[in-house]
Amino acid sequence: MLIFSVFKTLTDQKVTVELKNDLSITGVLKSVDQFLNIRLDKIEVFDEARHPHMMAVKNCFIRGSVVRYVQLPAEHVDTQLLEDATRREAAAQGKR
Amino acid sequence: MDPASSGIQEPFDLIRLSLSERVFVKLRGDRELTGVLHAYDGHMNLILSDVEETIVIVEHADGVPEGQATVNVAKRKVDMLFVRGDGVILVSPPSRT
Amino acid sequence: MATLQGYVDHRVLLILQDGRAIVGVMAGYDQKSNVVLSNSKERVYSMDAGVEEIELGLYLVKGDQIVLIGELDEALEQSVDLSTIRAEPILPIRY
Repeated sequence: MLIFSVFKTLTDQKVTVELKNDLSITGVLKSVDQFLNIRLDKIEVFDEARHPHMMAVKNCFIRGSVVRYVQLPAEHVDTQLLEDATRREAAAQGKR
Repeated sequence: MDPASSGIQEPFDLIRLSLSERVFVKLRGDRELTGVLHAYDGHMNLILSDVEETIVIVEHADGVPEGQATVNVAKRKVDMLFVRGDGVILVSPPSRT
Repeated sequence: MATLQGYVDHRVLLILQDGRAIVGVMAGYDQKSNVVLSNSKERVYSMDAGVEEIELGLYLVKGDQIVLIGELDEALEQSVDLSTIRAEPILPIRY
């Protein structure tokens, strides 16, 4: 839930999603769901000369399970807030 | 040290106590990261900053005996990175030496 | 919610776990992102020849096989001559 919330705060920001098939796609984050499926707009594929497969694709839906990394805009991530929220969530889990 | 007094009773406690510290992460696909840990969840999804990724690429050329393959190491840096938990093999806290 | 709403009746590109690329018109989808495509074709990429298209017709793709669904820009699609495109196939997903 925590990570889902983080992604929600990053909607309309530019991110780079790296997939487990080594494709790397940069675009504007339009939405995310609880599976961390991602909708990207205005996409660019890294090294398009080698990966022309998505030349005519301008926006896409990426399945959360195939994501390896997402590069985030550091200036839009409040690390102190993240750490506090992570500690709170860990404490809440411990009580169950 | 008594495990209770250190606050470590279960594995995730070790990760919790590494928040805002530099950690080492081993991933599937011969990848390793070091970075400052800012968030994690029960899937071991992570958010790290100031990340250095190391990828080990072993090239098994034909006719070359086992153990003599060429090893290439690629490194790169990322400011802020979300790592999906299903690729994580281990998270190691900073060495306290 | 990152839904597939908005892709129905649009031409889309599906990339699958095994690296296949399939284009077609999205006829429908469900909660598990299972997708039905109409007038679909597989696009086979290689370095030795242009892109080969194999007719698949009406096609159901299970959600767990899907890597990515992209909306195709019709104008851009038409400006590309697939027979001139040489590329390696997309790699399969490796965990």
